[in-house]
Amino acid sequence: MTATADDRADVLHKAGLDGQNRTALGRMLGTGDVGYAEEGDDGVMRATVTIPEDQLIFSPSIIVFPHGGDIELTIINDDKNTHCALLPHNGDPKIIWLVNHSKGTARLNLDGPGAYWYGSTTGNDEGRGLTAALVMGGEVPDSAKLDRPPQPRP
Amino acid sequence: MTDYVDAGEAVAHRTLSNVKGEAPATRNVDYDRIKGAKSEPENWLTYYGSYDGQRYSPLDQINKSNVRKLSPAWVFQAGSTGMHSGASTYSFEASPLVVDGVMYVSGPDGKVWAIDPTTGDELWRYKHASPFDTSLCCGNVNRGVAVGHGKVYMYTLNAHLIALDATTGEKVWDTTNGDVRAGESGSAAPLIVKDMVVVGSAGGEFGVRGHLDAFDAQTGERRWRCYTVPKPGEPGSETWPEDGEAWQRGGANCWITPTYDPELELLFQGTGNPAPDFDGGVREGDNLYTDSVVAIDVNSGEIRWHYQFTPHDLWDYDSTMENLLFDAPDGRKLLAHADKNGYFFVIDRTNGELVRVFPFVDRITWGEITPDGKVTPKIYPDEEGVPVHFWPGPAGGKEWTHMSYNPQTGLIYIPVQEVGATATRRRREFKESIPYWGAGVAVDLDDHYGFVSAVDPTTGEEKWRWNHEYPMCASNITTAGGLVFQGTPSGEFVALDAETGEKLWQFQCGSGHHSSPTVYSVDGRQYVAVPTGWGGWVEGFLPGLLGAAAGDALFCFALPED
Repeated sequence: MTATADDRADVLHKAGLDGQNRTALGRMLGTGDVGYAEEGDDGVMRATVTIPEDQLIFSPSIIVFPHGGDIELTIINDDKNTHCALLPHNGDPKIIWLVNHSKGTARLNLDGPGAYWYGSTTGNDEGRGLTAALVMGGEVPDSAKLDRPPQPRP
Repeated sequence: MTDYVDAGEAVAHRTLSNVKGEAPATRNVDYDRIKGAKSEPENWLTYYGSYDGQRYSPLDQINKSNVRKLSPAWVFQAGSTGMHSGASTYSFEASPLVVDGVMYVSGPDGKVWAIDPTTGDELWRYKHASPFDTSLCCGNVNRGVAVGHGKVYMYTLNAHLIALDATTGEKVWDTTNGDVRAGESGSAAPLIVKDMVVVGSAGGEFGVRGHLDAFDAQTGERRWRCYTVPKPGEPGSETWPEDGEAWQRGGANCWITPTYDPELELLFQGTGNPAPDFDGGVREGDNLYTDSVVAIDVNSGEIRWHYQFTPHDLWDYDSTMENLLFDAPDGRKLLAHADKNGYFFVIDRTNGELVRVFPFVDRITWGEITPDGKVTPKIYPDEEGVPVHFWPGPAGGKEWTHMSYNPQTGLIYIPVQEVGATATRRRREFKESIPYWGAGVAVDLDDHYGFVSAVDPTTGEEKWRWNHEYPMCASNITTAGGLVFQGTPSGEFVALDAETGEKLWQFQCGSGHHSSPTVYSVDGRQYVAVPTGWGGWVEGFLPGLLGAAAGDALFCFALPED
């Protein structure tokens, strides 16, 4: 059986892969929503992520940024349990502790293009579903590109 | 619902550790100090210990008479958190540097540490966030840093050259130097020469165009770039198809640190395989400057001469490994190179003239190189879908891991791999960032072995051999104490008698070796440090140990103080 992009959410739901303790024990990684960051006049890209009650997931679980750079991420724990977030950052990962019903901020710097995972590094939150991605789009500067004609891409 | 509890702002992970945050200030390391590195044997100032790549330490406190007492002084565990690229292929491949009582070492996944080299205490750490999806042919690895001008330089997995403050680890500048969308990456240790930092590209398995670059050490501004595949009309372009696009994806990456002769002002850079690795039909010709040593003018970035070890390579025989500089008894300036293709070359480093070539492995079936340097291919994947077995396999008789030269014995100690492989040509179209091998490849799971070969480079005579059931996949180092230290894939770190090859000592580190050990001293006590951690391109150099224990520990050994 195959799924198209349009009906993927339905297929995941029918298969019991989009929630806790259904087919699998936890929620399959990468089955959540996709969100987009907004770039402010100051060049900082901002987004908000929440942990919904009893879902053990960061929502959106994939946030797309237009390019690498400075990021301000607002993180809200709406769950009735305590979690955290260990996030990638140039210099050293950053960690924030998120008790029940809490809200905090992470200021990050990440290169683009490329994808980065982060997660709640307590117990096995990461395996249950609290693993999510920050995806940087864009291209490297022209000065970093190879001196050759444009090449075909997949 | 009440207002949210204020969780505050995320903090650096290291603030929740015992890392001290600062390293003692050292004397400035500049060009003159690195040129004279052998005059301060307590330090290991640059990647090979000295510009000549000899990996020789003049220290002799640890010697043949007492090495059996060598014991662990401390162990540093790198560890990891969260999901990272190459989660199953990371390896601790670096060569630690030591400057005036501070050790600087890089690890997998963008990590750099300053460490107290007498205790193993972590002084500061830096971690470059590395995209999970970076194209990495051969694992999440980094081979080391350069230290100088008050900074520590590292080339990141995503091809950024970064400079850190040597006392705090804080980033000073960051220059993007490669195109990760094209499949470029970074793994080599940078080299400081004059007021510049030199580093080469990786990504030859993805069909990129190799290059070596030099940057202003203070600002990160690029001074020059030397492409190792010529464009049409440039010297060497006649070795590529005239009407094709092959040169644009030609490979010849520079993923190992060059050696350097300050008198000639030449960098000796080994270059990688052509792309696609095994399908020569789409790139007829010798394919310069792949699989070569290129002598590059450090001031201009221009190629002065070259010598190609495997013209029109069809076996993935990179020649990126070191070109070790030494002088003949008559004073002739020479260069020694043990190639993946199983032959050992001695070359006049002033002009690229071949002096001597001889095999240093037992099994060579891909072809033959005569004593005067004539290359005759014999077995290669040239028919679509037909498997071809050859020795050495694509990891070579010796891969990037480094040999060493002891001026006391006049011998070069080569870590040798005896592993074959089967390649079946499978032509495919080129697409940026997708592996571009042109074959299916399976390296032998058995019938492999290894040894350290002690060779007289002036005659080609093998003086002794230390045998092991597994190929040697780690660099060695030799000392004035009459010793050669070698790590094995099965975890042993051994000391050999440099004159006879007799094993005098060993310690089981718990994970295989695929790195470059370092020798130094602090306050009169000599140490030997070796990163361990089996990983990298194991499926290429020893798939028979793909299931061996991983690890990422830095071991440091010394004689008991009492």
